[in-house]
Amino acid sequence: MKLREPETPPSEGRQRLAAHATNCDACRNEPLPLDRLAARLNASRVDIDSTNLSRRALARLQPELERRALAAAWPRMLRGLLLSLLPLPLVVAFDAYFLNIVYGLVSALLPATLAAYLVVSYGALLVLLFALTYSAIPLLVMRSGRPLSTIDSQLATVL
Amino acid sequence: MATDEELVSHVGHGDESALRELLRRYERPLSHFIHRSTAGRDVEDLYQETWLRVVRHATRFDRTKRFSTWLFQIAVNLCRDWHRRAPPEPIDVLPDTPSRDESARVDAAIDAQRLLARLPEPQREVVILRYYHDLTEEETARILDCPKGTVKSRLHHALAQLATLGRPAGSESS
Repeated sequence: MKLREPETPPSEGRQRLAAHATNCDACRNEPLPLDRLAARLNASRVDIDSTNLSRRALARLQPELERRALAAAWPRMLRGLLLSLLPLPLVVAFDAYFLNIVYGLVSALLPATLAAYLVVSYGALLVLLFALTYSAIPLLVMRSGRPLSTIDSQLATVL
Repeated sequence: MATDEELVSHVGHGDESALRELLRRYERPLSHFIHRSTAGRDVEDLYQETWLRVVRHATRFDRTKRFSTWLFQIAVNLCRDWHRRAPPEPIDVLPDTPSRDESARVDAAIDAQRLLARLPEPQREVVILRYYHDLTEEETARILDCPKGTVKSRLHHALAQLATLGRPAGSESS
């Protein structure tokens, strides 16, 4: 749709006036002062500072926009969390396998108790890192105002 | 460049920059439409209310339709509600301190606004959308949610009435 704010009467408007004068019985009997009518309508120039109007509208709409952004962020966050949880079983299985190998190697060199202590400590560190990583995902998603598709692709890259 | 329809879907998710762009694109036609529909009264309130409804219902916007049609439908409905609420008052849209150079143009503008204000509301809507915004009959019909034939007949009657109103006082009765 083409919207315009003409400074001069649009030609179509003039044609319409002329067509009306031709088809209307009353106007045929007494010709319309078409030019005067067009000029009078055209004089209705609007003096509004539209930019200021928009600025004030934007300020008034700010709380509503924030509500919308928050409402839109929740599904995005849940989706981000779900996506990030998808590879978790595989990662846990790989880490368990890795820790088992490390324990085998370390226990061959050190006493079993010390080896167990080291491997459990390392395992605990891994769990802590996992917890930190996963707790950061909601924060990252909530803070991001970018479209969901961007976040999905970024998560896919990270994971 | 993003289309209006893409922008409005971002607005539904609270995207301020998308709303700013829509405001920039439509601030003139929309504010002028409201100004002409209400003879310059409560323009800011109606303008803000129109955009508030856009933001609130952006997620429900049917992207197969044109945003501009939807926007003007909202504005038309708000102006109709406004006309039902507010009784007509004399039009006093003079600036606070009009300069001497401007006074003739302001007089002419008031004169034109008086002409428009004396039209029945449905006819005034058609004249504003068809004449000032140069929309097609189909687009006007979609915005006003009426058949194309109704737009034609309203325009015909509006022009006849404007012609009568536009004649000098002495010849009005003839």
